[in-house]
Amino acid sequence: MADRLRTHTWLFAACLALALLIANVAAEPTFGEPGNWPALLAALAPFAIVAMASTPAILSGGGGLDISIGPIAVLANVVLIEWLLGHDGVGSAWLAIPIVVLLGAAIGALNGVLVAVFRYQSVIATLCTFFVLAGVIAKIAPAPKTAPAGTWLTGLGDMVGPVPGGLLLVAGPLVVWWLLSRTAFHRNLYAVGGNDATAFSAGIDVAAVRVLAYSLGGAFAAVGGVALTALVSSTQASGFAQYTLIALAAVALGGTQLGGGRGGLVASLLGACCIYFMQTLLGALEVSSAWLNFVYGCLLVAGVVVGAKLLTLRPRGATA
Amino acid sequence: MPAQARPVDPAPVAADADRPTAIALRTTELAKAFGPTQALRSCSFELRRGEVHCVVGENGSGKSTLVKILAGVHRPDAGTLELEAETVPNLRSPRRAAAAGIATVFQEVLVVEPRSVLENVWMGSDGVFAGRVPAAEKRRRAKQVLDALLGESPPLETPAERLSLSERQACCLARALVRDPRILILDEATSALDVATRDRLFELLRERAAAGAAVIFISHRMDEIAEIGDRCTVMRSGETVATLERRSATADELVRLMTGSDHLTAGVAKRPHRPAAEVVLAVPGLELRAGELVGLAGLEGHGQDGFLRSLAGPDDVAYVPRERRAESLFESKSVRENFGIATLERDRARGLLSPARTRARMQAYVERLRIVLGDPENPITTLSGGNQQKVVMARWLATEPKVLLLNDPTRGVDINAKRDLYALLLDLAAEGMAIVMLSTEVDEHVELMDRVLVFREGGIAAVLPREQLSRRAIVGAFFG
Repeated sequence: MADRLRTHTWLFAACLALALLIANVAAEPTFGEPGNWPALLAALAPFAIVAMASTPAILSGGGGLDISIGPIAVLANVVLIEWLLGHDGVGSAWLAIPIVVLLGAAIGALNGVLVAVFRYQSVIATLCTFFVLAGVIAKIAPAPKTAPAGTWLTGLGDMVGPVPGGLLLVAGPLVVWWLLSRTAFHRNLYAVGGNDATAFSAGIDVAAVRVLAYSLGGAFAAVGGVALTALVSSTQASGFAQYTLIALAAVALGGTQLGGGRGGLVASLLGACCIYFMQTLLGALEVSSAWLNFVYGCLLVAGVVVGAKLLTLRPRGATA
Repeated sequence: MPAQARPVDPAPVAADADRPTAIALRTTELAKAFGPTQALRSCSFELRRGEVHCVVGENGSGKSTLVKILAGVHRPDAGTLELEAETVPNLRSPRRAAAAGIATVFQEVLVVEPRSVLENVWMGSDGVFAGRVPAAEKRRRAKQVLDALLGESPPLETPAERLSLSERQACCLARALVRDPRILILDEATSALDVATRDRLFELLRERAAAGAAVIFISHRMDEIAEIGDRCTVMRSGETVATLERRSATADELVRLMTGSDHLTAGVAKRPHRPAAEVVLAVPGLELRAGELVGLAGLEGHGQDGFLRSLAGPDDVAYVPRERRAESLFESKSVRENFGIATLERDRARGLLSPARTRARMQAYVERLRIVLGDPENPITTLSGGNQQKVVMARWLATEPKVLLLNDPTRGVDINAKRDLYALLLDLAAEGMAIVMLSTEVDEHVELMDRVLVFREGGIAAVLPREQLSRRAIVGAFFG
């Protein structure tokens, strides 16, 4: 069992998420009704996607951490509403979504180049990006603005055909991740994150892999921005610091090691579920929202302590 | 080294028999410096196809630098490098080196612990996205090579962290072998292997050599060199000094070449042998007496460093670390602050710190250690390396220790500062201080020490008393 937990550190988050889901249903029986699912998923999606977006940079190791994930998501949100869905915007989801995703990927790649090529500390490099984007966002969306009614956004916030829009959005990064796991990139990323000196001496292009990891994170963050827009249908030009922090909390809770090389996208998704379910549970129990951050903190400490404990367990055969 | 035939010697492939001395790699006057240190001065050697070519030399002789240039980790400052008669200006990265048919296995066991055996073996063989070798082929060849190395391959899905050290190093060897390199470099890669695995590796090396590959083999073990080497190149102080054929490469001859025959016991300062004094420090392997100078010697990474550190701790033992920048200097602080940090309590005046007192105390050491100094309030980084080291020494001498531990104190220090330091050490010993000094310079051991402990493979391999100290005796003990 200990062995299993060690190699599948996300099991803790999975169990916790399941327990919280059951607790939610117990506290509020309507929680489980299929009719509520689209709304629940739409509210979960921005959380879950920014958490997933934070993951590749962390996996790529070297103390990698992308602080600018939150601002990238919000930038996607304001660009969508102010420009792409405006009177002279592009309108169609088939055009608008790829544009913001490419924008996110480009910003991520820039972060990656700062970190992997120019060797800036990732926290500092992405903090710079964070502030630059904060300024850009304030310039693009100086005042709150509502999305035009009756666009494809409404569907993404509810149902797209038979599928809840939130589910579709969360599935996007997961599918990309799954496709990548069938290429050498996935192996290279975990090798670089696990031990960059070994990866380099074995002939992996460490810098290219890291730049791509940040770029992937940026692209995912933009998808998170689409999910955010679908949820609130307006510009959300403040509060992006919150998104970055909650995303990091979800990653840690999911069992992804901040040192790199261990963890994954599904783990972060489960971590985000834990945080979201905790939030809804406290809401159902009518606990004051003032307690929310306190509970996040406790949850995170518990998750990180459990994760660290699991990692220090001696694997079988290590002393053989 | 007896010139007997190899136990297993598969018939060479016909094409290679036609040109038995085809050159796989030739370096001409390769040079490389790291800052002020000239790691490689002039390295010229020839590697033939189908041979196992040993490279030997003591610490700092340039073996590792040569290997890292060939592996694509470092780029040479000067000199040329030819691969199969084709000039290659440099190998820009390990990736380029691998593409040129060079595979290197390092002394450090380089595996990514959470990843599987299979991924570790094939690491770096793919592009960033594109897999270059089909998955089934990867499994088959990984299993084949690991079977040959380990007798039986561990399950390919096992994470590397569950393997023993020897199995992990086997993964690194397999990573090189599955690429079918034209040139295979093993840099002390056998030290982590158990004996059975090493024997199977030698078998594989002979097969690969017989099939036309060239192997560069670096080891500190004379028995391994005798067993596997066809030719042997000796390096000393960054230069290749000789290449010997198998029959002339006796252990004695190699040691003679590694140490340089001319200064065997030259310049030994004759010191009166003092009567045995009280024991000031006793640990397994070492009973240290007051007034004694004890040297710790060995090739890098054979346990002498850990041994020295394990002696530090008690109050009257002062330890001067090796890495000045990382472990002993406060680079943003002044010379005075750097000196006083270990003895601050002595400069207390009415509950506050008195810089004047520190300066006064420091003056005595400045004179005694001949520290060349402007204003004591200047940052420590304004001093030369030798003077920085002296300030660190002064810091610890100020604690008035009974035992002084020095970790390679003359590394990166100019010759005059070295001489000052030697004189100081002899003075201190004469006053009754016991000194244990790790040094990578064999001459320091020969000239200064009362006793030298030679480390090999994590333990004390030999204890040489003063009358037996010579370069040849010490280097001979390095190589067992």
